[in-house]
Amino acid sequence: MSALVLEAVDVAVHYGGVKAVDGVSFSLARGQIRGLIGPNGAGKSTVIDAVTGRSRLTRGKVLLDGEDVTALGVVQRRLRGLSRSFQRTSIFGGMSVRRQVELAAQRMNHDRPAADAEAVLGELGLMQVADVTAEALGYGEQRRLDLALALVGKPKVLLLDEPMAGLSVRESHELARHLESLAGRWNVSVLLVEHDMDVVFGISHALTVFELGRVIASGEPAEVRRDPRVREAYLGSAG
Amino acid sequence: MTMRSLWLTTLCALAAGGLFGFFVHSGTLLSLLTQALIYAVLAVGVGLLLRQNGMVSFGHALFFGVSGYGVGILMQANLMPAELAIALTLAGVALAAFLVGLVIVRVPGVSFGMLTLAIGQMFYLTASRSRGLTGGADGMNIDWPARLFGVPIAQLLKPGAMFVLCWSALVVVLFLLALLLRGRFGSVTEAVRDNEERARFIGILTLMPRALVFALSAFVSALAGVLSALNTGFVSPEALHWSVSGVALMMAVVGGYKVLWGPALGAVVYFLAKDALGDHATHWMAIFGVALITVIVFSPAGIAGALGRLARGGPGRAGR
Repeated sequence: MSALVLEAVDVAVHYGGVKAVDGVSFSLARGQIRGLIGPNGAGKSTVIDAVTGRSRLTRGKVLLDGEDVTALGVVQRRLRGLSRSFQRTSIFGGMSVRRQVELAAQRMNHDRPAADAEAVLGELGLMQVADVTAEALGYGEQRRLDLALALVGKPKVLLLDEPMAGLSVRESHELARHLESLAGRWNVSVLLVEHDMDVVFGISHALTVFELGRVIASGEPAEVRRDPRVREAYLGSAG
Repeated sequence: MTMRSLWLTTLCALAAGGLFGFFVHSGTLLSLLTQALIYAVLAVGVGLLLRQNGMVSFGHALFFGVSGYGVGILMQANLMPAELAIALTLAGVALAAFLVGLVIVRVPGVSFGMLTLAIGQMFYLTASRSRGLTGGADGMNIDWPARLFGVPIAQLLKPGAMFVLCWSALVVVLFLLALLLRGRFGSVTEAVRDNEERARFIGILTLMPRALVFALSAFVSALAGVLSALNTGFVSPEALHWSVSGVALMMAVVGGYKVLWGPALGAVVYFLAKDALGDHATHWMAIFGVALITVIVFSPAGIAGALGRLARGGPGRAGR
């Protein structure tokens, strides 16, 4: 078993002539939280799509726990422990919270899917609304349900696409602390794409900075913050 | 609905149907209701596809008509007993629908509807023109043997018995579907219908469940076709015509496809209303069209949805 849970090696995704992602490499150690930042259109979401199998790679490969999963589809990668949340909340509107989380748990081949579902629901504070139909939930609850669906079965790697989008400052800080503790306790490695810089710098162990489909800086948060290219390209040179 | 009440409802429904068939002696009423029930089974098949797959078929007449022809041709060729011909036809339709489903359920929205329409009409024209095999546009008589499943056919074809048979078939189909959809298959197909992409991201392969729903809905429609062939002893290309698919679809929508029995209710309402109109029935489609529009505008969940709201106490309560 490799120490690195996830490795993206020279990943490129081109749509026709557009190089959305062009030769990107990064890795995740077990339990590590890596922030992925960069201006809009830098290719962050495309990287998540590429790693999870939603987009086809033009070049490069993706390793999960040392195994090359580049040729596998979304479902096979999820069953091997590669999970994601969505920037635009993606849940099953017509089903109750419990039913959909249990369904996800069953697919993860657990002996006790109901217990697993309960654990995730409890962890994300969704127990009180477990029997409510998803479309009747409030926005914040729906965001957490999206996360719950991704967390079921304790994935090895969780890719979060702007989990704080649309949440209030207080809610995002709560969620951030929660994610940090969860990643530690469940030993889940997290790739976090997020625009809220306080959150990203607050909980990430490492950062990768994107611009125009390429990595322009990578390292520990403090290091990245000092990088002149990052300051110029993204944080604004005055920051 | 709990398991207990599902069993109870089913048994009560079967008993009620038996009593009705036994005590009602009006042949006209029983024949009318029998026809309605056959269409009810067909509409349940169409509604199932809508409910579990979110897909609109304009071609379910294909399964309805083909099963009649299948049974007729197999018996005409004297290859096997009628019981086996029925079983083989139903299984064949389901299997063929599954294989075709693997291809066409990938096609989204309107295109899927157009494909089902095209395939259905293809068979309609083929049946109309293959005089040797199907009797062409005149249709073909189906020679049922003297005994079917041990029951003398003369007994079976009496209006009361035929009504009880079709009613029981409908109730059992609804019961089995309810049972099936309570379990994992129900959750999986609903998830795939609601959000196919997310379903993949929780580890569900989405093609197989969709094709299975398509096959299941074809099977139910084919069962209606067999009942119809038994009831009339006849099958013609009319049974394959797209207008049959269209009517079944309207029944499903008017009745309300979000509950399993909604389409069946739609079919019964359709036939009773048409009968009640009597001489005005020449304008029937215009009248039903208005009813369809009314339902879609005022109660998108159909008659069944409106009844459900009434039962829960007024239209104001929704959501949590």
